[in-house]
Amino acid sequence: MHDPAEMPVRLAAFLAGEEPEATDIEVTSYEVMTGGYSRLLAKATVHWTIAGGRRQETFVLRGDPPPDRSLIHTDRAIEWDVLRAVEGRTNIARPRYIDRTGGRLGTRAIVLDYVPSASLLPHMASLADHSHLPDPLAEAAASFHTIPLEEVPASLARPESWEAYMAGRIDEWRATSAAHVESLPILRYVAAWLHAHLPPPVPLSLIHGDFQSANLMIDEHGRIVVLDWELAQIGDPREDLGYFKAVAQAAGPDLTGLDAEAFCARYRALTGFSEAELNPAVLAYFLILGVVGTVRRLLEGGAEFALGTNHLLASVFNLNSIQFGHAMWLSVSRQLEAALVSTKGA
Amino acid sequence: MLSRPTTDQVLRQVASDLADLVLPHVDGEPARVAVQMMTQLLAGCAQRAAHELAWMHDEMAAIEAAVGDIDDDATQAALAAFRDAPAASLHLDDVAHRYHLASDALGAAVEHAYRVGDRVRSERLRDLLAARSATEMTIIGRLDLVGRG
Repeated sequence: MHDPAEMPVRLAAFLAGEEPEATDIEVTSYEVMTGGYSRLLAKATVHWTIAGGRRQETFVLRGDPPPDRSLIHTDRAIEWDVLRAVEGRTNIARPRYIDRTGGRLGTRAIVLDYVPSASLLPHMASLADHSHLPDPLAEAAASFHTIPLEEVPASLARPESWEAYMAGRIDEWRATSAAHVESLPILRYVAAWLHAHLPPPVPLSLIHGDFQSANLMIDEHGRIVVLDWELAQIGDPREDLGYFKAVAQAAGPDLTGLDAEAFCARYRALTGFSEAELNPAVLAYFLILGVVGTVRRLLEGGAEFALGTNHLLASVFNLNSIQFGHAMWLSVSRQLEAALVSTKGA
Repeated sequence: MLSRPTTDQVLRQVASDLADLVLPHVDGEPARVAVQMMTQLLAGCAQRAAHELAWMHDEMAAIEAAVGDIDDDATQAALAAFRDAPAASLHLDDVAHRYHLASDALGAAVEHAYRVGDRVRSERLRDLLAARSATEMTIIGRLDLVGRG
């Protein structure tokens, strides 16, 4: 997918297969994109005659890297199902086509509409005042957190209950420590602390799983576009908010924290959560809990590098994020002890 | 062997030259991101080369002192494994292995403190973890997520 000499021909043939009535298909540009750590990305401009007229369209291809260059392993077919479920509810790059086997595009890949938009991080860096952004962020999150579970793809696993889900999530910290190439006592501390300070339960919902500024864009109407759904699952929706906050500590500004009470109030109004269920302290609890999936995947990459089974410099580089996380989790857990009631003594 | 310039000096210079001499002439974005990652990693490797053996030794001693009196089978089993491991070698792999065993004892002690609700102990152990984290932050400096967004 990263061969600009070969891909225009492959893409034209792929589109011809997907849209049999289309004619005169020309891929007039094809460029590799950066910005995603886990998937290959490319942008292609296509001129074709379709639906009775000559049109120009721009697509983004999002495909799997070769196995030995893969940071994390996720399923394009499941990502496709999720995209179809959130389409029309959440502002996303519209999914158009999928190559489920990789036989036509050279790797399993999804073809999306290109959305003229700016990455949220540089957009925020260009602004002195960010006070207009927290509400759209809350609205973007709530737009998919409120999708009824029966409309969420069946390919996503359904936890038994909130309690079972949270226990599993906390166990993931312990399991991640146990599976790593060296003992990680900070992860074991985090698990013990999270277990001792559980917040009130809320209904489980579709969560994005990597809800951070780097996966958000601002379109020409000022709305947030949510990208990269490969880690979507069913979980506690507050995890996405906490995850956003966690990443924003390293790549700010933290839109959830400009006025944390106001952000929580807006999100509560959209979801119907109570103040006990979501307030700044609970949000900060999920700053810790919400990153466990990413922590596990990044540590797996680091372990593979240490064992010589991958050779990706990014796998080592990403361990810096883990170490930054160590400092953040320790600091936040200490600060939160006064606000969160311990249910287990210490 | 020639011990000077020290390993950290050499690595620091390689990082500096990559950033100042090589990066300005690199055009493709993926290659630029790779060079920026290399620069940061080399700076961290320089810190580790200079200090990591001493840091691990100091932390192992602090862990042993902090968990030695804990009445918990898992903690004491992990501590015994640490104490049984040969301690004479200063080769990095050997020290890293002992550090792993000491870390395991610390993790078990933290879990025990929370399980029994020992607030004083859990805070003392958290101080050890915070000291470890401070060392890590000295290694990585500031976090710069190159290539994102």
